[in-house]
Amino acid sequence: MSLNVQNLYKQFGTKQILNGVDFEVKPHDIHAIVGVSGSGKSTILRIIAGLESTDSGDVKWNHRSLIPIPAHKRRVTMLSQTALLFPHLTVGENVTLVTRERSRKQAEHWLRVVQLGDRYDAEIHELSGGEQQRVSLARALAAEPELLLLDEPFTNLDPKLKLDLQRFIRDLVKELNLTAVLVTHDREEAMLMADQVTLIDEGKVTRTGTVAELYDTAPGFGDFVMLDGELRPLSEVEVSEATGVSVQLMKKIYRFGQCFGEYQFKDGRSVMLPTCETYQTGMIYRIKRKEE
Amino acid sequence: MIRQGLLICLTFIPFISLFFVVPSFEIENNMAIVHTIGLIVILSGINVWLSMMCAWWLLWTDSRWKHVIEWLVFLPLFIPMLATLFGLYLILAEAGLIGTYVGVTLALLVVTIPYSIRLAYNGMAVIGRPLLEQARILPSRRRVMYVLYPLFSRLMRTIALFTTVILLSQFALIQLIGAGLIPTVTTELYQSYAGNNRGLALSNTWMLILFPVLLYFLLSGWDRYMVRMLKGRLQ
Repeated sequence: MSLNVQNLYKQFGTKQILNGVDFEVKPHDIHAIVGVSGSGKSTILRIIAGLESTDSGDVKWNHRSLIPIPAHKRRVTMLSQTALLFPHLTVGENVTLVTRERSRKQAEHWLRVVQLGDRYDAEIHELSGGEQQRVSLARALAAEPELLLLDEPFTNLDPKLKLDLQRFIRDLVKELNLTAVLVTHDREEAMLMADQVTLIDEGKVTRTGTVAELYDTAPGFGDFVMLDGELRPLSEVEVSEATGVSVQLMKKIYRFGQCFGEYQFKDGRSVMLPTCETYQTGMIYRIKRKEE
Repeated sequence: MIRQGLLICLTFIPFISLFFVVPSFEIENNMAIVHTIGLIVILSGINVWLSMMCAWWLLWTDSRWKHVIEWLVFLPLFIPMLATLFGLYLILAEAGLIGTYVGVTLALLVVTIPYSIRLAYNGMAVIGRPLLEQARILPSRRRVMYVLYPLFSRLMRTIALFTTVILLSQFALIQLIGAGLIPTVTTELYQSYAGNNRGLALSNTWMLILFPVLLYFLLSGWDRYMVRMLKGRLQ
């Protein structure tokens, strides 16, 4: 079942937030929408979820328009930056509430899936931020959605937890054969999680493609590479044994046919580059600005 | 420490003197009690319902008229009550509602509703739109029973109590719009003050205190029972 976002326009007051947004999410894909703050990416998600109206345009799920369908009938669930659990309910009650039959058994199943099977009776305030986000994920999945929306759900987590949860959610979405739309400003996150990426700027889609396609062609995508003390666009750097900053290839990550190398600088910071085939893990390499 | 002491004094001084005189336990006008209970039930019910609906709409609407409507609804907060009273009197007189129960109810509703809407709106804003949005994704019955009612029950109780206290504080309005024909505990209290019967005045004063206190315990018990019962269904 595919999602088609067609020619979306949205204005808040005098500010045009969306300017004819078009993209397609393929069935069982994780599709990332990447853009800076205020680019309109969260508004797209809210329109898909039915929490915001559109001025014009359409959102089609399996060739059927979602626009006239109220939020609670769309079979779409959303995971946000904060867990947004209902504070008057326990962990288990939060999950039970959304299951079809209000079933404790189902809730316990989903809590086990997110590795919190023993916390059914815990109060929300007793959980850490990461655990709350897991409960929120269990609640989102317990509603048996056809489409999962992820609105920067990793923003408030520490780096280690963030990476763990990113991998956990990615694997879970694939295992359950769900279709997911991830909104993020973090390109590395998009690269780690998504099959397809749509870049958005000032309410307009600037590029859509696979991660690998965008690395080669999209200006600005992957500009998290630190070089000479500043962030450089990926297109401006190369990995070589010549002069430049020393980095160590820590590990190779194969994602959807593309090999990504995780390199580490001497000061401990790490970067990812869309290359690693000709380099070996554990060896020291150098990255430098490409010759003009 | 001084601040806390001052606060305690200011809170309790009005009540200490109530124990200096023995109340007469006389109830001169039973209709006053019936009218007061009736007005509390009707006004609290309408205020809770209307203010929650209006605040909910204000919270979510994108309408360009939102600010105008907000301003209009909150206008009575900036105008002294007595100033609105005469305008109300003229309109209700035209409609033939002076000296009637309906007239008094309408007048009290006009006076209390802006405060109730403000309370409801602020309460919802404190809970926050993102959390309430999560509730919007739920089917409507579950949304109201398991999320909105438990989240808003204290807010609704506050609105009901606030409405009751405003209602019990209105002497001039009830006398003018009711034309002296709709006795309440408040109007009786004023008369007993004028009559110089301290025992009777004290009885009425205790009655005045008793209404909101009883209402508080009644609504708190109801809330606790309902929330526990609803949570039980999720076990």
